[in-house]
Amino acid sequence: MLQTSNYSLVLSLQFLLLSYDLFVNSFSELLRMAPVIQLVLFIIQDIAILFNIIIIFLMFFNTFVFQAGLVNLLFHKFKGTIILTAVYFALSISLHVWVMNLRWKTSNRFVWTDGLQTLFVFQRLAAVLYCYFYKRTAVRLGDPRFYQDSLWLRKEFLQVQR
Amino acid sequence: MSPEWKSQLEENHLRPPRALPPVPSAAQDDILLNRPKKKKPRPKHTLVSTSLDGLVQAAVHKPPKGSEPPTEEPIEHPEAPVQRRYKKKRQSLELETSFTQKKVSSPSSLQNENGVDVEPTEEAVIQKPRKKTKKTRPSELQYANELGVEDEDIITDEQNSPEQQSVFTAPTGISQPVGKVFVEKSRRFQAADRSELIKTTENIDVSMDMKPSWTTRDVALSVHRAFRMIGLFSHGFLAGCAVWNIVVIYVLAGDQLSNLSNLLQQYKTLAYPFQSLLYLLLALSTISAFDRIDFAKTSVAIRSFLALDPTALASFLYFTALTLSLSQQMTSDRIHLYTPSSANGSLWAAGIEEQILQPWIVVNLVVAILVGLSWLFLSYRPGMDLSEGMKEKIVLKYHEIFYNDFINLLL
Repeated sequence: MLQTSNYSLVLSLQFLLLSYDLFVNSFSELLRMAPVIQLVLFIIQDIAILFNIIIIFLMFFNTFVFQAGLVNLLFHKFKGTIILTAVYFALSISLHVWVMNLRWKTSNRFVWTDGLQTLFVFQRLAAVLYCYFYKRTAVRLGDPRFYQDSLWLRKEFLQVQR
Repeated sequence: MSPEWKSQLEENHLRPPRALPPVPSAAQDDILLNRPKKKKPRPKHTLVSTSLDGLVQAAVHKPPKGSEPPTEEPIEHPEAPVQRRYKKKRQSLELETSFTQKKVSSPSSLQNENGVDVEPTEEAVIQKPRKKTKKTRPSELQYANELGVEDEDIITDEQNSPEQQSVFTAPTGISQPVGKVFVEKSRRFQAADRSELIKTTENIDVSMDMKPSWTTRDVALSVHRAFRMIGLFSHGFLAGCAVWNIVVIYVLAGDQLSNLSNLLQQYKTLAYPFQSLLYLLLALSTISAFDRIDFAKTSVAIRSFLALDPTALASFLYFTALTLSLSQQMTSDRIHLYTPSSANGSLWAAGIEEQILQPWIVVNLVVAILVGLSWLFLSYRPGMDLSEGMKEKIVLKYHEIFYNDFINLLL
């Protein structure tokens, strides 16, 4: 059974990482006095996304549903989050690489191209969706039903067996 | 004094103490612990039993005499020392078991050593200590009862078996609960004090009972509500910001956008920070609006959108505004890096100002309108607006509805 204190701790960590992600997405363009600042911000942001992925998977592994062997059920329920997180991670890394590559020599110059603008829009939109789905998943995983045997789980199990 | 006279005297003095009210446990414990040492001064106490203490001690020490049945003739008294010796012997044998080792501390051991006999007095003698324990240590007894053993079932005096039994006969196995609990520690059963053991388990129970008051679901719900509040704030703040922004732009641009260079000069420090702030607020608002329509369940979301549900419309408008706003990132950066066209390496060639700024202003206007509309839509729906009507009833009802929604959502 998931302990309340543990869950609160994990949830706050997840929200901390999410807020950092949102903060960097919002204000990284302003913090470009030196290229190193942006580089560090981006690296930490990518690591934060990676951490969030690891945490959400650890939470999956901790559920009774997963331990009962219903991995498919769990992944089916949260496939949106998993896919979006992966996509967002890929988009972030590519955008960061691109931007840093363009700005490394002179940080405060106009680097925008149509390609970069498009990638930027998709990355930022994905960020919002990722934030929403991730938050929803993290909150939903607090439901005690995921951590104990229940009628709901048995029904799902029967459906999976069919 | 002859032993007969002494014992008779003691008996007379001792009888009343049996019916005495219970004694504070501390005093009793003291006596129990010091019992062996006080055997000698016993007669003194019994004789001077006017004070409460004296009475207590007398009551405690009386049993040695109790071994001599009151009905017995004085002639029989000489046998008493012999019996006592037998008892001592037996006890020394029993001391070898861990069970009896710890008995010394328990009140029952008192009787054992007293050697209560099968005589009619036995019952009275047994009952008295029981009364004592009941009154002096009620909490412990309560704990003991919780272990599922009736106090009456506990053997308080193993020596109860008739003295007349041969010393050499094996002790008749009395299968009855005792005052000890045998806990397996490192593959050995060790006697543990019941009350202590129960106390520890009691503590655990208390901590277990505390848990249901604040479950993980409550944590999730409170986090959800907290985010809702943040979202509510960001909706209004965003609408205000966007309107203020578009007003500032139009004011700076002058009539019919005649003074665009002035706008660029004045607005260039503001453009990028505002773009960043707009993204932050739009992101928060979009997430909050998605939360309200449960965007993850696409079928439900689409259905509510087709039904022109205000919340669904608002989230769609927010997402559109977000996309539009993001698409102006390049122009914002260009404004941010504005230098007059005369300057070297200027991004702003002469004459292209209006060409670039016109769509930018229009997009900003559209974003402001979308955001304002979304805010109106969201505040239109009753029960969603927590800023108004903070009456408990409404809030409670809202919470109830929301809680049910949340549960349904999970299943």
